[in-house]
Amino acid sequence: MAREENDTPTPQADAEPSSPPDRRKLLGLLGGGAALAAVASLGGCKTTSPRAEGAQTRRWGMVIDLKRCIACKACTIACKNENKTPPGVAYGVFLEEEAGTFPHVRRTAFFRPCMQCEKSSCSKVCPTGATYHRADGIVAVDYKRCIGCRYCIAACPYGARSFDYGHDYIADAKNGYNLIPSSEYGAAYGTRAKGKSPSGNVRKCTFCLHLQDENGDYREPTACARTCMGKAIHFGDLKNPEATCLVHGEKMQALLAKRSPYRLKEELGNEPAVYYLPA
Amino acid sequence: MTNTLQAANEGRSSRLLGHVVLLALSAVGIWALSVRFSEGLIVTHLTQHVPWGLWISLYIYFIGLSAGSFLLSTLIYVFGMKRFEAAGPLALLQALGCLVLGMLLIWIDLGHPARFLNVFAYWNYSSVLAWESALYLAYSVVIIAELYLVLRPALARRAHSGGPLAGLAKKLAFAGEAEEKAWRSKAARWMLLLGIIGIPIAIGVHGGTGAIFAVVKSRPTWYTGLFPIVFLVSALASGGALLTFLTAISSRLPKAQKLDLVRSLGRLTVGVVALDLLLLGSEMLVVFYGGIPHHVAGWHQIMFGPFWWIFWFVQVGLGAVVPILVVLGKRTGNAIGPLAIAGLLVVFGIIGVRLNIVVPAQIEPEFATLPDAYHHLRFVRGYFPSGNEWLVGLGVVAIGTWLFFVARRLLPLDEAEQLAGDHSTAAAGPPPIHAKAEGRPAAAAGHVSSGGDL
Ligand code: SF4
Ligand code: SF4
Ligand code: SF4
Repeated sequence: MAREENDTPTPQADAEPSSPPDRRKLLGLLGGGAALAAVASLGGCKTTSPRAEGAQTRRWGMVIDLKRCIACKACTIACKNENKTPPGVAYGVFLEEEAGTFPHVRRTAFFRPCMQCEKSSCSKVCPTGATYHRADGIVAVDYKRCIGCRYCIAACPYGARSFDYGHDYIADAKNGYNLIPSSEYGAAYGTRAKGKSPSGNVRKCTFCLHLQDENGDYREPTACARTCMGKAIHFGDLKNPEATCLVHGEKMQALLAKRSPYRLKEELGNEPAVYYLPA
Repeated sequence: MTNTLQAANEGRSSRLLGHVVLLALSAVGIWALSVRFSEGLIVTHLTQHVPWGLWISLYIYFIGLSAGSFLLSTLIYVFGMKRFEAAGPLALLQALGCLVLGMLLIWIDLGHPARFLNVFAYWNYSSVLAWESALYLAYSVVIIAELYLVLRPALARRAHSGGPLAGLAKKLAFAGEAEEKAWRSKAARWMLLLGIIGIPIAIGVHGGTGAIFAVVKSRPTWYTGLFPIVFLVSALASGGALLTFLTAISSRLPKAQKLDLVRSLGRLTVGVVALDLLLLGSEMLVVFYGGIPHHVAGWHQIMFGPFWWIFWFVQVGLGAVVPILVVLGKRTGNAIGPLAIAGLLVVFGIIGVRLNIVVPAQIEPEFATLPDAYHHLRFVRGYFPSGNEWLVGLGVVAIGTWLFFVARRLLPLDEAEQLAGDHSTAAAGPPPIHAKAEGRPAAAAGHVSSGGDL
């Protein structure tokens, strides 16, 4: 991926969409592949959206305090609203598990956004590089490049990806609700229409990256964190030791230092950017 | 002679029926495909937990058949196993046809089929699927080249005798014996070279298809080093089995020679099937002994889930145990009919293997309660293909089968088989006179019917 090393990357800037030189070389080795790539670009099949890389100096993450969570699931509704996801597509979901038999029962409940893995399985397996890892740690999907093979869904250990099968809440395309585009990726994909991206693509939580300003900092926190009435979801930069939670102002590192935090499925080595504080 | 004519007539009417059935299924399939393309993947019953279903199962099934057939052909062209030589051209045609079907199925499965070239335009070297796409192309080039080399001498014969593609045959005809001889020796060298290049490609094609699944650590049932190997072995089994079946029903070799060929192919096939069972047993032992819940869950789905019978009856029973018994049987193992059925059973059983590879591993979601987290049909637990998925699957298989028979008819496969058969008996020792004597008229009769039918 073409990751520019400048200090003030602009999210809207047209990042070089074509193959970087090293990949070209690889293609060259694959003779036939290079020829096909040429055919693909001539035939106009080469599609991609402008790629934003985010701020190199940031590593956005979450610390979810399960002691504060009251399991109201407002986070999932806020997420639906913010990203206007269609039926059957879920970015942030709330999971509840029960174990044991009465009277010895245990209950766990937690909010699961995309983990924005440092070593993301989804971007690793994606044949087109449509799913890519941004400099600020957020894993995004380029809907125009994505061919909809769904390999990334199979590969994600956290079930954090959804294929857009093309369902709609309201069938009438002219209904006012349908005329408002989803705000994700800065509303880059326009109003929803049958057969048009993101329909037919795989979608995922983006840490609401459309809420970033041109410096790659957040104008306002992610919808789920913003809406949480128990103040359980902390969102902020994990790279800078002094960075604070954008919603509640606690130092992110201090939150992690206090109560033994854990990450989901740590054993898989995906290195999620989402931490949980035990209930 | 009257006998042969009668047989030819009967064969013709049953063949006609076959064509009608295949064309009807193809027509329904094309309709279902048009619905799928106009409506999108909403017509499937795939979910967020099971994003790959029937079509992907069929895709790996056909890629396996293709790789298996090709690897078998290399036994002849690279390792010089003359016993199988007559089956060579058919094996190559089978490899090509199945590859095309496999690629067609994965293409149909894409959310944005029109963008498939993006895989090549934006190469992601860390994706097994991207590597596979490139390998499939390289592989098809090798097969087509081999097919040309194998068929040219036989096709050239049509320049004088007529038959389908006679026009092309005239262009390819040799100037004389000397030229043909020179070309043949060159072609044999090319075949060897292509076979040698082709072996790693074919292994990459199917072992790699296995690796698409094996590298996915989020699905513990897939995540094992044995997986690509199991893919290869079952590919060989299915390729060998299909070749056994097709040789048995479509070869026009003299009887004794044909039985010999079918028997050798059948034995090879069940040998590989037995190896497949061994690998399966090893995998199961480790999984159940370890007892890690995620691992066991997938296998539990396979063996005792709602489709337990696919494992016990289709995959193990009909697909492995029965064919092994048939081929080992004293009487059944020496008759073309039962051997053909044994082959067909393995071909059929491997469909069960493929379904069991793709689907059950995904049924257990990444978090046990994920299906309850969202109330929508795309979030439910479990998967059963929709009507459209079935019809598209069936249709594609029907179109493929029909095209195969048309190609079988148009291409000079019989002549090539005949040439190879003569060649192999000549190589094995003095040719049995009677075999030759009955071989010629039979081939000639076959020729007449093959010219008139389509
Ligand atoms: S949680 Fe899944 S979708 Fe999100 S980055 Fe990790 S692997 Fe990718
Ligand atoms: S569905 Fe799209 S994002 Fe996912 S692996 Fe395929 S091309 Fe990549
Ligand atoms: S960060 Fe945004 S997209 Fe992700 S779960 Fe929260 S609201 Fe949804």
